[in-house]
Amino acid sequence: MMHVDFDVAWQVMKWPLAACLVLPPLLVYLGLHVVKREVIFVDLALAQLATLGTCVALILGYSFSDRISFWISLAVTFAGAALFSWSRNSERQHVPQEAIIGITFVVAAAGVILLLSRVAGGKEELEHLLTGDILNVTARDVGQRAAIFVVLAGFFGAFHRHFALISEDAKAAAATGLRVRLWDFLFYAAFAVVVVFFVRVAGVLLTFAYLIVPAVCSVMLARTWKSRLLVGWAIAALSSLVGLYASFAMDFPTGAAIVCACGLALVLVTIGVSFRQGKLV
Amino acid sequence: MTTLTHLVLAFAALLPTAGGVEAPPPAKLLNVVATTPDLAALARAIGGAAVDVKALAKPTEDPHFVDAKPSLVVTLNRADMLIEGGAELEMGWLPPLLESARNDRIAAGSPGRVSASTGIRMLEVPTSFDRSKGDVHSMGNPHFLLDPVNVRLVVTQIAQHMAQVDPASAALFRDNLKNFLATLEVKAAAWQKELEPFRGAKIVTYHKDFVYLAERYKLEVAETLEPKPGIEPSPIHLAAVIGTMRAQKVRVILVQPFQNRKTAETVARQTDAVVLDMPQQPGVKPNTATYFDLMDSLVHTLATALQEKK
Repeated sequence: MMHVDFDVAWQVMKWPLAACLVLPPLLVYLGLHVVKREVIFVDLALAQLATLGTCVALILGYSFSDRISFWISLAVTFAGAALFSWSRNSERQHVPQEAIIGITFVVAAAGVILLLSRVAGGKEELEHLLTGDILNVTARDVGQRAAIFVVLAGFFGAFHRHFALISEDAKAAAATGLRVRLWDFLFYAAFAVVVVFFVRVAGVLLTFAYLIVPAVCSVMLARTWKSRLLVGWAIAALSSLVGLYASFAMDFPTGAAIVCACGLALVLVTIGVSFRQGKLV
Repeated sequence: MTTLTHLVLAFAALLPTAGGVEAPPPAKLLNVVATTPDLAALARAIGGAAVDVKALAKPTEDPHFVDAKPSLVVTLNRADMLIEGGAELEMGWLPPLLESARNDRIAAGSPGRVSASTGIRMLEVPTSFDRSKGDVHSMGNPHFLLDPVNVRLVVTQIAQHMAQVDPASAALFRDNLKNFLATLEVKAAAWQKELEPFRGAKIVTYHKDFVYLAERYKLEVAETLEPKPGIEPSPIHLAAVIGTMRAQKVRVILVQPFQNRKTAETVARQTDAVVLDMPQQPGVKPNTATYFDLMDSLVHTLATALQEKK
């Protein structure tokens, strides 16, 4: 434990803290959809595609921070979004969608390794994309993303009924005359934007943790969309606080500390729920 | 839910006791931060009792890539002085940490900021810059501390800056510098003598990180295991390296702790060569805490291996 006054600690941790409180709510909402649709690994697959796009930019000689590399990353991720909305009906050929998503993930991951073998410092870049750099996030990073997330939250809020219906029961949604494929594409495309923006500061692991863990916890604890959303946000915020605190107090890499705090939250919630149902006694 | 909150809070309350306790240094010491342990060792030699020196990178870490942790930002925030290698060595990780640390005392151009590469005759300065050539440093090869002549310049610069930042201890810094340079002269002659019999000998390295040592002692780096700096060794390139080593009878491969020793061992098996652990940072091997001890160890390891494989 370093002896530091609160001022220094605050200065070091304030923007990571802001990022971890402001940005996850939208991820929690998307996570609830992902859990309902049972496409848990869609985020990992899209994050990996975003990374693949970044690597293409690196190969072309741009640097990670160039704007063009962001656009290439987004374009590749959109292609993935299109693929996932199109492959929704793959079940007719007896292929579960989760298989398509898993295959996309491993191929994209292998593609990243191939491309980075041609880029100087590739191995480190790879690790960097996994773990992100939430500690060095700047006010501008947080502000920019908060603005984009607000717009997207408005979009999801306006059409929540459609999205919820499709996530819960696609057949019933189609029966009411909804164009399921179009809405699916819109959903995945917006999802892709969130992932691309978040992965660049938080890394693949932390993005996945924020997306899935609070949503899974809230499904155990609450029933309606609204209450699940609130419980999920609370758990994301609490895990972030514990993770950030542990990172500072014990000098752990920040992103990984938050991911482990999320894992701990899930364990505690599971134990708590089991107690409530009298399963452990 | 309330039980959960209590559990989490209880866990959080336990945390501060889990970390190692570190006593704060006495307030009057000059807080000197070096990016790498080798620069830290030089700063300790010059600053002596007037300074408290910390290195950001671990001795076993690749100085090109250091992982960000909160303690690094805190250390930079409190620093009175920052000594960096410069020449883009820390380009990949230091700037964001400095931005988070917000410390004007170590801003570029202030007396509290030392860039060790200033005034060094850099090797391998590229004539054109192109990322496809690998991790090429546009200002030249930044691994220059294995040449004693360069170390002369670096310690002199460190002493000047320390005297500017802490004028009260200027006399101490001057004396320490004088002693260091005197010892360096004697040591450099000894190293020269120990490696003299191997003038023109060929070596293979993993990365282009021994060019200054090779230049000083007239050794020849026949090949590097990396096809280009920072690019993972590929099968085709390794085959070429093995061919060269067999043809030119190169029997020594130099690796550092963060490089892939398995790759070096694979090549060594094919070429009857020996893999030498040559960490350029003090403290990786026992009894290498100072620059002199480290160089003694490196020169001796290399000379012994070249003798055996002659």
